[in-house]
Amino acid sequence: MFQNYFKIAYRNLLRHKGFSFINIAGLALGLTACLLLGLFVYDELQYDKFLPEGERVYRVYNNVQSEESTDQIACVPPMFGTTLKEDFPEVETMLRIIMQPWEGQSLVEAGDKKMYEKGGLVSDPTFFQVFPLKFIYGSPEKVLDDPASVVISDKFSDRVFGTADPVGKKITIDKESYLVKGVFESNPKFHLPVNFVVNIARMQLEPERMKSWGWQQFYTYVKLKKGADPALLLSKFQAETRKQIDEETHQPFKYTPALQPLREVHLYSASFKYDQSIRGNITYVKALSVIALFILVIACFNFVNLATAKSLQRAKEVGVRKTIGASRGQLMLQFLGETLLLTFISVVFAAALTSLLLPSLNAFTEKEMAFNIFSSPGLLLLLLGLLLVVGILAGLYPAVVLANFKPVSVLKGGLAITNGPGKTPWLRHSLIVLQFSLSVFLIICAVVVYQQVSFLHNKDLGFNKDQIMFFEMRGDNMYKNYETFKTELLKNPNVASVSIGYGFPGDATAGDGIYITKNGERVSHSVTHLMVDYDYINTLGLKLVAGRGLSKEFPTDKDAAFVINETAVKELGFGTPQKALGQKMEWKMWAEKDTIKKGEVVGVVKDFHFKSLFDKMDPTILQIFPGANWKVAVKMKSSNVAGGIAHVKNVWDGFSPEYPIEYKFMDDNFEVMYKSEDKLKTLLWIFTGMAIFVGCLGLFGLAAYAAERRKKEIGIRKILGAETSSIVSLLSKEFLKLVLIAALIAMPLAWFAMRKWLEDFAYRIDIPLWVFGAAVILAGVVAFLTVSYQALRAATLNPVKNLRMD
Amino acid sequence: MIQTQNLEKVYRTDEIHTTALNKVNLEVKAGEFVAVMGPSGCGKSTLLNLLGLLDDPDAGSLVFNGTEVAHFSERQRADLRKSSIGFVFQSFNLIDELTVFENVELPLIYLGVKNPERRRRVEEVLEKVQITHRMNHYPQQLSGGQQQRVAVARAVVNQPPLILADEPTGNLDSSNGNEVMDLLSELNRQGTTIIMVTHSEHDARYSHRIIRMLDGQTIMTEVTADQAQVTLA
Repeated sequence: MFQNYFKIAYRNLLRHKGFSFINIAGLALGLTACLLLGLFVYDELQYDKFLPEGERVYRVYNNVQSEESTDQIACVPPMFGTTLKEDFPEVETMLRIIMQPWEGQSLVEAGDKKMYEKGGLVSDPTFFQVFPLKFIYGSPEKVLDDPASVVISDKFSDRVFGTADPVGKKITIDKESYLVKGVFESNPKFHLPVNFVVNIARMQLEPERMKSWGWQQFYTYVKLKKGADPALLLSKFQAETRKQIDEETHQPFKYTPALQPLREVHLYSASFKYDQSIRGNITYVKALSVIALFILVIACFNFVNLATAKSLQRAKEVGVRKTIGASRGQLMLQFLGETLLLTFISVVFAAALTSLLLPSLNAFTEKEMAFNIFSSPGLLLLLLGLLLVVGILAGLYPAVVLANFKPVSVLKGGLAITNGPGKTPWLRHSLIVLQFSLSVFLIICAVVVYQQVSFLHNKDLGFNKDQIMFFEMRGDNMYKNYETFKTELLKNPNVASVSIGYGFPGDATAGDGIYITKNGERVSHSVTHLMVDYDYINTLGLKLVAGRGLSKEFPTDKDAAFVINETAVKELGFGTPQKALGQKMEWKMWAEKDTIKKGEVVGVVKDFHFKSLFDKMDPTILQIFPGANWKVAVKMKSSNVAGGIAHVKNVWDGFSPEYPIEYKFMDDNFEVMYKSEDKLKTLLWIFTGMAIFVGCLGLFGLAAYAAERRKKEIGIRKILGAETSSIVSLLSKEFLKLVLIAALIAMPLAWFAMRKWLEDFAYRIDIPLWVFGAAVILAGVVAFLTVSYQALRAATLNPVKNLRMD
Repeated sequence: MIQTQNLEKVYRTDEIHTTALNKVNLEVKAGEFVAVMGPSGCGKSTLLNLLGLLDDPDAGSLVFNGTEVAHFSERQRADLRKSSIGFVFQSFNLIDELTVFENVELPLIYLGVKNPERRRRVEEVLEKVQITHRMNHYPQQLSGGQQQRVAVARAVVNQPPLILADEPTGNLDSSNGNEVMDLLSELNRQGTTIIMVTHSEHDARYSHRIIRMLDGQTIMTEVTADQAQVTLA
């Protein structure tokens, strides 16, 4: 019996090649999209799952409530960790990792090798208790207890020591000597980008500082004891923190601590500030999952539509089989089996296509996803599951329809199968409407995302980021003689200007308090501090809206002048830029205890976006503070940038030959800010294209069927004088109407979804109305082109032939 | 073998009710060859569909081999069809995707006959209808007469006691038509009961008895050949 079913299925497949192709291609593409996106989503969901007992590990972060929103800050004060460990018996182990105030590049030297390495973590010695990474050499037991020890990753070890066991070897990191005590296996699914770990004791932080409740500098993790209730722990800990007084504001502690499960760190921290972990975005993961589902649904609908539309051709067979004794169940099984066969072929194609495309997706997403069904029984099982789900989803309805045909009707020539005149094939039309709704929805989303991403890249940021070479100073000689270094840099004609400081656009900035006097009362405000020199404003091309920039001509500018931005004018309550001039400010200086810098506002600059456009503009203060002269921005003249770079390298070598120079250009900083959005944009276009293509394949098949079904009508119309164009319009109208209905359904949904997405950006586009019109026109044109091919073919056939065939 | 009493069938659309069969009373004995004749639309095909359990009657009784079958479930009807009734249609109704052999084999598959036996029986019946040389061909590759011979072979392969034929020669020329009628006569001689709907007086003469219908009712039964007897229904 099954052999017979298979035979019929196989021969039908060959006999109706066009329809088989449409079904297989549609399903295969849908499944490929689903598999590729599924792999991506699965990969994103795997972060930190490999860590044993990871379900007991939580990251402690802070919620900061402002008037408009709540911000999450990934770093917390050192006393959080200390208190949690000492006063809360639920905590088994606690770990703090200090946030690096720079990008985390360290100069590593071992033997004759010298290189910059990222991913150096300075942590409590409990690192490998909280994150039990697999050790290749050495043992995790007390491995970091000695402050002179370092534990390195296998990849780092390969780069520095080759394949030999490096345990016991010496290594110099930023000119400090360490002994390698262990090598752990790198895991791409670990949320921390780590190449080596050293003990925090090596930093010799003042014990007093480690008792701070205000120094937000530590990524802090706790591993709870078995059975401990994290919610209860958190509420007790929140109560404890409320008792603390912020030593700077002398007001109750304003941050609210929270716990984040370790396995949520990767996907649920997209909006966290000062987070240096490898972050994904759950919104994008969800969006891509929905798109994958959309494409699969569109492909399944194609199948349902084509199978029911084509059922007439199978009706006779159903009639005959029923007449000679086939039961409904047997027929359903047969047709379901056919769909499963078709789905199986599609799955095979999809698996091949996925293998083919995965390397490109890996390169694009910078992942190492694998798709090998032969070595992964789970994957094979998943494909089998997909085969059954898709096969049944797509095949069940047509199977029921076909198996329900009455032999008497169908053997007499199709009575009651086709929709009679004036009757609408509701299901088929509904499915087309749904398919095109999904397509129009995706088109609108793709265009809006494109618009927003273009906006991010092209918005006037209020400063000129072009041709600015940017690097961190290295070596004592350079730090101590930064003024001479700057003078030397300026000696080349290709260098337009140079600024040294801390707080350049696209790089790390510092948040700190500022004191002003309001109604006779000294109040503190949290602002961003940019530590600058006299050339900062000129180098970045900032625009002054009131007063003047910082200048050597005013000797007091060094110790008693502030330039603020327009947002600071507003938020500090100065009224207008003009009124801000001369306002007094005080700042508790870094490093030197209880030293207050007192000064006044000498200028106001137009707001400029030194952070990504996800973040709203902060009130910002520019001031001279040579203690933070760590970074250098060199503005090149466009005529000979290469010459300028060569000069900078020469000067560098004159000051710190022991350090190789590492530089980049400032605009690159901004490019990487929107990397995920750029990727989302590209993925959205690709998969929207796929969704439309798959939908059109189905429409193409249905149009062919409609043209076939209406051959007689077309023949009669032509004999009565209808022109080709009127026939094309007759056939196309029906489908275009459906596309229009689809657009009406999709538009509000897409508007809503995009508005939600745009809310994540502090600076965003207004969704332009033309996007909706364009999406409808695009969907309409694509549908028209798809249908009109078949319509034109039908309209140009000899009408006599059509009538004779009837 | 078959008795009907007041058998009725009404086709309903939204606005129109058409009575296709109106209280038909009929008896067909085992081994009989009965022809049903009448103008188009008189209800002969409807009658045949009801007798073949392809359609439900709206009222009345239908007894098959002593069992009331008018209200059989779909499964019971399917079981009865595959074991006891063979069908021959005007338009042959062969499955285009299956070869001659596979078409004839189909009823045996549904009956659950195992393969060596199935092959033997198919070959035997193909031999009987003289189409063995074409058994690996597809229906489209055969003439109309050959297709109908295959349809007859398929109808008899599971040796049903009853064959229902709906204008079996309607699509054939006279020579092919005669061949098919000879085949049906031969089957009848071997004991198979045959009920045949036809427009052709020529074909009807192959039967023992002709039932004439008009407007959904049987109006007359006449005995053919040497019996030359006419009775009013």
